[in-house]
Amino acid sequence: MEEIVLGIGITALAGAFATVAGAAEDTESDIGSQGDPNSQVQLAPQMGYIHRIFNKAISGEPPAYGAWCAIGAGVAWALMQINYNPALAIILGSVIAVFVQGIYCTSGYLGRIASLAKFQQPVYIDIIKSLLSVTMAHAFVAIFCTVAMCYLMASALHHPFALPLLGLVWGIALGAAGSATGNPFYGKERQYQNQKYGAGVPISASGNIVRYAEAGQRSSLDNGWFTTKFAGPASGICFGLIVFLELWRTVLFEKMMGGWGAIIMGVVLILVFTFIDRWVEVWGRKTYGPYTTEEASS
Amino acid sequence: MTAKMEASAGAISENTLMIYGIVVALVGTYLTYLNVVTGMAVFSFFGGIGAIAAIWWGSDTIKHLCSYGLGTGVPSAGMVAFGAGAIAMIAGTKFGMASPIVTLILAAIIGAVIGYIANNVINMNIPVMIFSLMKLSIVGALTMLGFAAMCTGTFMFNGLVIGGMTLSMEPAGEAAAGGAQTFMVTVLPEFAGSLIGGSALAVIFFLGAMALQHPFNACLGPNESQDRTLMLAIEVGFLSMFVVAVMSYAFLDMMAATVGLIISLIGWFYSYKQYIALSKRDAYAWLDAKPIIEVGGHE
Repeated sequence: MEEIVLGIGITALAGAFATVAGAAEDTESDIGSQGDPNSQVQLAPQMGYIHRIFNKAISGEPPAYGAWCAIGAGVAWALMQINYNPALAIILGSVIAVFVQGIYCTSGYLGRIASLAKFQQPVYIDIIKSLLSVTMAHAFVAIFCTVAMCYLMASALHHPFALPLLGLVWGIALGAAGSATGNPFYGKERQYQNQKYGAGVPISASGNIVRYAEAGQRSSLDNGWFTTKFAGPASGICFGLIVFLELWRTVLFEKMMGGWGAIIMGVVLILVFTFIDRWVEVWGRKTYGPYTTEEASS
Repeated sequence: MTAKMEASAGAISENTLMIYGIVVALVGTYLTYLNVVTGMAVFSFFGGIGAIAAIWWGSDTIKHLCSYGLGTGVPSAGMVAFGAGAIAMIAGTKFGMASPIVTLILAAIIGAVIGYIANNVINMNIPVMIFSLMKLSIVGALTMLGFAAMCTGTFMFNGLVIGGMTLSMEPAGEAAAGGAQTFMVTVLPEFAGSLIGGSALAVIFFLGAMALQHPFNACLGPNESQDRTLMLAIEVGFLSMFVVAVMSYAFLDMMAATVGLIISLIGWFYSYKQYIALSKRDAYAWLDAKPIIEVGGHE
């Protein structure tokens, strides 16, 4: 019984870490403009819209965060092998992972923008200077929380995977949660605020992203200001729930029916969430209905 | 994607790159054998140099494969290269001194099979697909082998699953590994602290895959130029080598790991400076805190 109580406590702590990690990850990727909405940032100069948005062309968020968290967990694991204190090892691992992340950010921006010289898009070097510290700080929070969560799983819950592999798996999950949950806020709500609400993005508006502010010009830092309020917490809840429910079902039901209890519980959870998603979708359609012709033609 | 991606012609032909890449990668990996000859682990960093050569060649191969309109497929190409390469690399290390050569041959075979399936079964119909995937899986396998050799000081299977040269073998009292091998009366090796048993190979997998896909993914566009892309490949290669050097502290002695660390940092710093200079050369303008220059996008 005591073991289960401890397990639930660890589960709650890991869920809290995951929530912070998800919020930080999405804010970081939105400020840096990573993931699928970045295709419009990439397209903008080709359509004649020169912009001051960061263009963090690394890869999709899941592989990128898989890599950062794997680096953080791998270095932490290596340092723990030579008897470093776990807390220090995790911090040093996260620092090295963030260093790698920052270098990838700058080379991604410089590479993509320099290759757009044909469309007269200049490299704004102040963008790198002002954004890099912000994205690296958010990335550090995300990586540190994820690696710490993985360490809790490995040491307190005796997960059979080694720490680097846990970092890889949960890093990919973190990137996927941020990409799936947070990016719609950035891509559709933020980049296209100059389109009529609910109009979607017609082909003619491709690349016509928001480049000017109420006064002055926007950089990606303003995207952070917007998406921190909506996309970040949403991603945090998403990733926190994933981690919490995953550990919860394992801790409570692993002993039942020779291990099948946890698997059955997982299937039940998937069914419950499928039902909730369907209900929300149907409710949304019934309440707000299809776009009327008047709105669609504008 | 409206703008078609063109593979820039470049001064160095693809076959020249391939020859340099394979030769340097193989020689670099074999040079780590000096560890065994001399009894010191300081030659481990040669594995990292070999891996960088493989990445350098591979980034050009990705460019040629992905110029067939695979816009979002650039990162995926890096992943498939290492997925295929991982099988070849782990199987190849079982062959003792011949390991790097066997790894290369196995990777070519696996790549050809994957390329055939992608092209003829899934019907992707890209002319260079089979040959490109062969080359990419060789790149993946040689990069992982090089970094693994740098991390542990050896490219042989036992060294990768039983820890590095300086890691003492412990009795498997509390370790779950070992199992049926109770007939070994002396000591049972501990697997959890090794490169493969501790999953450090997963980190190398991602370090290599990111470094392989990043150069062309970052530099694609109408003004992509070969020397800039290849310089970025060297830069991210050294960056991956730096992380591997830090992880090698778990397997090698202080001196050997520090040599790797210093070499990777010097190489990274030089190539990063070069890359920024090349970006400055290719950019339309290099502005600091200047407003948007309007070129006539309709408001």
